[in-house]
Amino acid sequence: MTKKFSLTPYLFLTPALVAIAIFVVYPIFAVFYYSFTDYSIVTPPVWIGLKNYSWLIHDTIFWRSLAHSFVYLLVTPILIVLSIILAIVVNRKLPGIQAFRALFFIPVISGSIAVGIAWRLMLDTNGIINAILLSLGILKEPMQWLAEPALTLPFCMALTIWLGVGYYMMIFLAGLQNIPEELYDAAMLDGCNSWQKHWHVSIPGLRPQITFVAVISSLAALQVFNEVFTLTGSLGGILQSGYTVVFYLWQQAFRLSHAGKASAIAMALLVITLAFSITNIRLLERGTETD
Amino acid sequence: MRTKLFTLFLLVSVLISGCVTATTQAPIATAIPPTPQTIVVTSVPQTIVETVISEVLVTPTPLPNPEAVIQSVEPDAVIGFWTFWLSPTFDQYIKDTIARFNEAYPGVTVNWEDHQATFQDDLKASFAAGNAPDVINLSVSEGWVSDYASQGLLMPLDDKVPQSVKDLYFPGLWNEQLINGVNFQFPWYQGINVYLINHQVYDQTGLTIDDFPKNWTDLPALCATIKEKTGTLCDIRLTVNDLISQMVYEGNVKPISEDGTSFTFDSADAVAWLQQYVDMVKAGTVDKTVLVTDQDRVGLDLFTTGKAAFYATGPNLIREVRKNNPGLYGYLGVVPAPVGKSGVIGKGLMGISVNAQTKFPNASLALAQFFTNPKSMLEFSKIVAIYPSTPDSYADPFFSAAPVAIEDSAKPFAEDAVSKYADIVPTIPHKADVNAILLRHVQDALFNNVPAQQALTDAVTEANQLLP
Repeated sequence: MTKKFSLTPYLFLTPALVAIAIFVVYPIFAVFYYSFTDYSIVTPPVWIGLKNYSWLIHDTIFWRSLAHSFVYLLVTPILIVLSIILAIVVNRKLPGIQAFRALFFIPVISGSIAVGIAWRLMLDTNGIINAILLSLGILKEPMQWLAEPALTLPFCMALTIWLGVGYYMMIFLAGLQNIPEELYDAAMLDGCNSWQKHWHVSIPGLRPQITFVAVISSLAALQVFNEVFTLTGSLGGILQSGYTVVFYLWQQAFRLSHAGKASAIAMALLVITLAFSITNIRLLERGTETD
Repeated sequence: MRTKLFTLFLLVSVLISGCVTATTQAPIATAIPPTPQTIVVTSVPQTIVETVISEVLVTPTPLPNPEAVIQSVEPDAVIGFWTFWLSPTFDQYIKDTIARFNEAYPGVTVNWEDHQATFQDDLKASFAAGNAPDVINLSVSEGWVSDYASQGLLMPLDDKVPQSVKDLYFPGLWNEQLINGVNFQFPWYQGINVYLINHQVYDQTGLTIDDFPKNWTDLPALCATIKEKTGTLCDIRLTVNDLISQMVYEGNVKPISEDGTSFTFDSADAVAWLQQYVDMVKAGTVDKTVLVTDQDRVGLDLFTTGKAAFYATGPNLIREVRKNNPGLYGYLGVVPAPVGKSGVIGKGLMGISVNAQTKFPNASLALAQFFTNPKSMLEFSKIVAIYPSTPDSYADPFFSAAPVAIEDSAKPFAEDAVSKYADIVPTIPHKADVNAILLRHVQDALFNNVPAQQALTDAVTEANQLLP
């Protein structure tokens, strides 16, 4: 029996497709074009061919930013482990457990800018962190936390973890609740302790969620900006210690008015994140298949 | 009887119309001596001629508004006006000034917007979109005027503004942020470079206000004393977005060769300037996050917490300290800012420029000039501790009155100080990129143990590649 062609589904899809075309597809093509131009935003673009890409290859700051972005990927395994642990902890039928789930989710809905500003005030020379450490005798004089190049990126990463752990916890919580109870009963009968139950039942059962979280959190890590900007301002940290690829892109576009160079950085980032995502998915899916 | 009544009616009509005319026509009605008039009254069946004496008021043509100095303003112009961080505190002043502007230039509609932290981003986006405002408040001290003017986005004023209008301003302020010798801004409100002193901390050093350094080169020694006696750090900020200017004013550095073919900010003067900051960082006498922040508010906030001995700012920002920490207000002192090796005490603060692509050039020029004219500036000065860029404003008794609050402490010497402001920084090609390169290498010297001479030489080498 031949299936009759129906226009209706396509009509329903049209508004979303139009929105994607305007706000996603067109900007990608526009950025691709601008990457071959000298463009200051306030004046029309001038075609210069591959000069921006040639500059990018020889720019040490871009490579340093890229290195920082790859270091930033360390938040991904930390987020996955912490989120799974929290999900296991809150996946219990205890009175008041809902309140804990809500508390862990509050950083997610607080907004990265507001939280970043709060962290910056806490880490200030006269902030509460120094006040506590001085009163406990751990420090003899206040430390300028955000002026230490070695600490800039770790603080940004800690902020990212604090902001995201509640969100990923909810994803893993949903995954845990989909694992059949019989598997845990069978593991108990086989003599597994709590740790073994989670290692042999929960983690394999969460494989799809782990794949999903690994991809989206690593993409977010490669594209981080808010945490760096709120903690370091437009300086990006002393000695460019907080420079990530997106932060450097923003600096080129909006501080130095080099939108052409920024577009070249964006295209490079697009290729890198695409390659990374495909590799990530293939590796994790291969792990699923061998099981 | 009927005729007499009719005559009486005519007489009363003439008298009433004369009175109404005198009250409705402004501004001045001049009464001229009564002139005998002859009124011919005709009625059936006879003609009676009577002589009536009445007072006739003659209203001359209204005098031009003395504040309307720009000619040929487009009728029914609609112009956009952006200010930087003035709302909501000065909403009433802006609206009142616009209302006065409309009296001088009727028919011009002004759409005013105030932009704050995102001002630069908003402005660049508006230029890109082709809907930038016609009249724009730009920071002279941060170098915004030359940034936009060098890209052809602002209207050059020298050949558009009559000499009589240019003469309203202090010459040093009119000739600021020049691009190839051309000016692009009407000087607006000025600040006086002062240092706010927190006596709660400063007095612990055993020093008095009179001991505060008069020269910039004496600041490091003061910071060392403050650290030793009080344990607090100096709240000093590098102008990270325009280090070249700071180097010129503080260190008397010549940043570029006369012929413009190479940068020269690795000279002995430049090294001496940078070495002072390196020494302060090594000695641990300055707050490093404040030193390299791009936000003035960060340094002001630190001072407002009461943890700093002094901060470089203007009297107009004392209101922020008072608002956020009223307890500190009573312990404030004010001293003139130390002068750099250049001997020039400062440069302009704010200006108003006109969009080169405006559809209403004369209306836009008129608005920009109106907000910066002596009367507008004087009225602004009475609301907040800012100072006019026009000598005539200082003739008002407001400036000769004795200061009553700490915010007014700069009033007695304001005219003298503002009259000496000058822009001594030469035109720097690719200024934003050069400053970015310089900032990177200055940080290497401050925080990465790179010798100051090497850092500056590396910066010059990299910056020279930007030159043709």
